[in-house]
Amino acid sequence: MGHQDLGVELKRIFPPERVLTSELERRMYSYDSSFMARFHSFVPDAVVLPRSTQEVSALMKLASQRRIPVIPRGAGSGETCGCLAVRGGIVVDLSAWDAIEEVDVANMQVFARPGVVHYKLNEHLAGFGLFFPPDPGSTRMCTVGGMVANNSSGLRAVKYGTTEQYVLGLEVVLPDGQVIQTGGSNNCRALKNVSGLNLTKLFVGSEGVLGIITRIRLRVWPRPKARGMAMAVFSELEQAPAAVLDVYQSGILPSGIEILDTSAIQAINMYKPEINLPSAEAILIFEVDGNPAGVAWEGQQIAEIVGRRAVSVEWATDPARMADLWRGRSVVAVAAARLRPDGSRIFAGEDISVPLSRVTEALRRIKELSRKHDVAVVNYGHIGDGNIHTAPVINLDSSAEVQRANALVDDIHRLAIAMGGSTTGEHGVGAVRNQYTMDEHGEAALVMKQLKETLDPLNIMNPGKLLPPEGGKDRA
Amino acid sequence: MPEDLEGLKEQYLRCVRCGQCRSVCPVFEVVKNETATPRGKVFLAHLLATGEIEANSQVQAQLSRCLLCRSCSKECPSAIPVHQIVTAARAELAVKVPSPVKRLVFRKIWTRPRRLALAAGVTRNIQALGLDKLGLYLRLLPPGFALPGRLPRRPAHTIIPAITPATGETRLRVGYFLGCSTNFLFPAAAASTVAVLSSLGCEVVIPPELKCCGLPQLASGEAAAASALASANSEVFRRLNVQAVVSDCASCTATLKESPEFDGLKVTELSELLLELIQKYSPGLKQIQKPVTYHDPCHLAKAQGITAAPRELLRLTCMDFREMDGAADCCGSGGAFALYHYRTSMSILNKKIANIKKSGAEIVATSCPTCIMQLRHGLAAHGCKTDVVHTVELLGKTLGRET
Repeated sequence: MGHQDLGVELKRIFPPERVLTSELERRMYSYDSSFMARFHSFVPDAVVLPRSTQEVSALMKLASQRRIPVIPRGAGSGETCGCLAVRGGIVVDLSAWDAIEEVDVANMQVFARPGVVHYKLNEHLAGFGLFFPPDPGSTRMCTVGGMVANNSSGLRAVKYGTTEQYVLGLEVVLPDGQVIQTGGSNNCRALKNVSGLNLTKLFVGSEGVLGIITRIRLRVWPRPKARGMAMAVFSELEQAPAAVLDVYQSGILPSGIEILDTSAIQAINMYKPEINLPSAEAILIFEVDGNPAGVAWEGQQIAEIVGRRAVSVEWATDPARMADLWRGRSVVAVAAARLRPDGSRIFAGEDISVPLSRVTEALRRIKELSRKHDVAVVNYGHIGDGNIHTAPVINLDSSAEVQRANALVDDIHRLAIAMGGSTTGEHGVGAVRNQYTMDEHGEAALVMKQLKETLDPLNIMNPGKLLPPEGGKDRA
Repeated sequence: MPEDLEGLKEQYLRCVRCGQCRSVCPVFEVVKNETATPRGKVFLAHLLATGEIEANSQVQAQLSRCLLCRSCSKECPSAIPVHQIVTAARAELAVKVPSPVKRLVFRKIWTRPRRLALAAGVTRNIQALGLDKLGLYLRLLPPGFALPGRLPRRPAHTIIPAITPATGETRLRVGYFLGCSTNFLFPAAAASTVAVLSSLGCEVVIPPELKCCGLPQLASGEAAAASALASANSEVFRRLNVQAVVSDCASCTATLKESPEFDGLKVTELSELLLELIQKYSPGLKQIQKPVTYHDPCHLAKAQGITAAPRELLRLTCMDFREMDGAADCCGSGGAFALYHYRTSMSILNKKIANIKKSGAEIVATSCPTCIMQLRHGLAAHGCKTDVVHTVELLGKTLGRET
């Protein structure tokens, strides 16, 4: 079926302005933030922008009839090709369907459509003294639907965990067009519900391979009244994870613990000289939140405990200074490209997760790998839960560098598995890491496949993602 | 000459398509799909540069959906100058997919002051005969033609003398860059600029041979024409031997500051100069009694990073200055953007109008003629009586130099 024919069929379901079929428009849905998308052109056959569950259901029925792949997409800020039409098909841009339908203050929950942007949800919730705790670095653009589909987390996962802990229920359109409610029936507002198999958890992090999430019921928390931040500078990398352990053992659970290595410090200073970080082997940023008295006490404790290992500790209470420190950290991901004038920071091998006890070792070994493959990297991450972000910086014009980067990334992924960790702590599998799914999960990966076949026998829901590819290594 | 696409290669290659630009782009906020995002435009420019897509009118249409407000360039964590990339892509498209009408307007008419004055005169006559209203009614003219409102009878350059001496001691000799919009649409603002500068001790010179600053040409892809204009204008000022070049138009000031042809000339933004002079010489200021709010023009706040000076001036002169929400949000004008994409422009504007209403201000001050035009249009459409003026006009009143 040609694009025009498909367009005609889709326009029976959607108003014409919400069906995109021209080549140029479709091309603009061929990318996300991944490295792989820079070298492949995954142009969908059509793009639709739904505004109702009925539309999505009708779409899935059409797709089932025609056996066309359907790929859900949020803001397209992902790093795994998760929202791209790697096998053609219809991309469903859910980002414009962004209503916050209800904040149920009495029941501490919120109902939203998948397109709502994370920071906008929290801005809205702030008006009720509430918040949705997971805090990805992409808060300004990522959608809550995308967060649920990828089980995202971020800077404050150390205390608040990941998205899955907050999802109470979902409305999901299954591949055949059937609409189900997970986590209880339509009128369920219970915070606890252990009846039945936990289908909510099945869909959280399923990356769109089982169905399309069209409505989300989230648990929300009281918004903390105060925040404080401590920055500790270390002359030896090893001292940083040791200091984190000291803090935990003193009975304090910070809301965030971030690490920056030498290269990350350099990148931040180049990007925002006014932040003026000292040069060191490592910098740790601790954030504590809660009530003002508790924050002050915990801050003093952390400063004292960490001060035993650090060269210096700065306890910041000035909101402007705190904002600067946090801002520097949250932009290091892209500011990394400043390391060299012709450099681009690539998103590949960027979020491995390792056991807490082996973070130093992992950082050292990543540096060795970087030297081995002659690819510069910037390391930073959520040291509080062993989630390391590695940012390779390369010249995209050089095919030799691209090749070396790919080899480096493969080594980093294998390193993570060998160390008892995971290839991805928060960004997901998509089409860039499914080649490791068997290695990571063994027999369990086959059960995943069976589940997929049961729910999506035609394999039209976001094919080529998350699950081990047929015949091993076939990428997408 | 501004950089061409090839020269900007390192910049567009750096885009990791993280999508942070989605959070600030006023056009995306209205269109709400990926094709309107800044990263999407950088992506298209990239494809255009590598020849992966051919230059055609569809690409042109996509790239025309940018206000050049620079919100994205400012937000981008990788500091990618998206506005420059869009401008360069438009220049490439203007060569490969030439539009005879645009060429006529931006290259043949807008670059020559006499022809531009003639065009303005013709427009005035059309308006006097009511033909514009008829054209709009019959939809022979696009709705954006209603934006400028009635053109004043006489442009500023026919009212204001070429040299205005300082009142009292001459402290500074400034060249006043009288931009096209101020000249033809807001002669009263121009008169205020000259009167206020003069009362603060400036001798004000308006060189009659000045041409357009070049921004309309740049924005429509006529880079060479823009460059020629900048050369001609800079030579005029160099000959004049002025201590500073000043303009009351945020867009003109930003363009002059960024033109390599102006290197070595001191281009000063009007509000910064006025604040400096007022602080130095503390003249008596009457107070404006009505509540006043301020709208940040993109070409002042984002292009030049100037947000404090105009507010400082307003606090000095207004009893009741109040910040509105989203003061730095684009009003949706973007020069010719409002003409090409009227409905999108109006949707962007609506948010601004709501914020103005919420502020309760009776006067909106700003320092960009196209913003004034756009805000007046929007307020009138909403039946709102709030006045929109140039900041310098309020200053004129408080200095007793009403025009």
